[in-house]
Amino acid sequence: MKRLVPLIILLITIFGLAYYITPKLPQQTELRPLGEFYLKNSYFGDYSAKSPEVVTSILWDYRGLDTLFETSVFFIAIIGSLTLFRLNKKQEEEAKQKAEEFRIGLTLIIKSVTRVIVVMILAVSASIALHGHLTPGGGFQGGSALAVAPLLIIAAYSKYALEEHGLDKTRALIFRSIGLLGIALVALVPLLSGGFLMQNQPIFPAKLGGQLVSGSLIYYNFFEFLAVGAGFTAVFLLLAIPEKVFKKFLRREANE
Amino acid sequence: MNEVITFIWTVIILSLIATVIISLYGIARRPNLTKKLIALTIFTDTANLLVVLLGYRLIYPVAPPVLPSFSKEALQTFVKTAVDPLPQAFVITAVVIGMAVNVLIAFAIIQIYRLYGTVDARKLGEKQSTLLKEGGI
Repeated sequence: MKRLVPLIILLITIFGLAYYITPKLPQQTELRPLGEFYLKNSYFGDYSAKSPEVVTSILWDYRGLDTLFETSVFFIAIIGSLTLFRLNKKQEEEAKQKAEEFRIGLTLIIKSVTRVIVVMILAVSASIALHGHLTPGGGFQGGSALAVAPLLIIAAYSKYALEEHGLDKTRALIFRSIGLLGIALVALVPLLSGGFLMQNQPIFPAKLGGQLVSGSLIYYNFFEFLAVGAGFTAVFLLLAIPEKVFKKFLRREANE
Repeated sequence: MNEVITFIWTVIILSLIATVIISLYGIARRPNLTKKLIALTIFTDTANLLVVLLGYRLIYPVAPPVLPSFSKEALQTFVKTAVDPLPQAFVITAVVIGMAVNVLIAFAIIQIYRLYGTVDARKLGEKQSTLLKEGGI
């Protein structure tokens, strides 16, 4: 009962204050001029990005440089995490060895369900990323959804199951580097034909084979999908190393 | 009817502000580093939600900022009903970047626990000062 008192005080304050200031608030029914400009120009108009999804066209076209630097922040955060947990070559090999008393993963029911769900997650995340220029979604969201798949495998089987099938930290980092390199290259392509950095129209074709691809948006979304998904996978693989193994490394270093 | 909607709107915004204040208290006053991180994630998520709400419009048929069909007539009604897309575009990146930065902080906390054996900020301060006096670092 005593713990409820602050909650009740908080609720009364919120409702009282809301009742008091409601008539004084301005009604937020109009668009800001900048938002209206983006809505009008996203597909039609003179400054078109040829995409019906206004958020994606802001993200990778109108405010593309913002997103480029956000991606570099992402790059630095992942690099920082990997540096904090860095291992030398010998330790990395040792971390891949299974402990002898290790019993493999959870029960059969969870394993079978995971096997189905992982495939579904891969399909859905690819769909989110590659349809980012048509429907809500894009590279960032698709990549975050993709990163759930290895996380599920780590929980249901183990991190050794991922590594035995070829997805270890180095591979994940290579995929991430391909993604980041792709973003940088697509951003630099317009400079070759006399455009400015990260220009979309009219340098990239809006339609490929009759399908609307919205110029450069689909490439950016795909590469961001790779970068985000693989970056988080590398981090999760490091987090999944058992604490015992790390304790062993630390103790050995202290003895030397 | 419209006043009721404005009232609910105000209650939502005030509750979010209250959540921000509570999470700031958590960041400043909880000694446990893990709890500080949890409070920080609550803070970033609430801030993101406030930014999204900036772009909302208090009208009845309100649409997401995705063009429904490729015609000039559809564009007219679309501009009349769609919400502001700019805050959403900012939040999309902020969510994923925030997740990466949280992972970095979590790694730092794990490393601190391995080296010092505790995640209590007060004990960490004591341990550091004794280590500095003994010249252990």
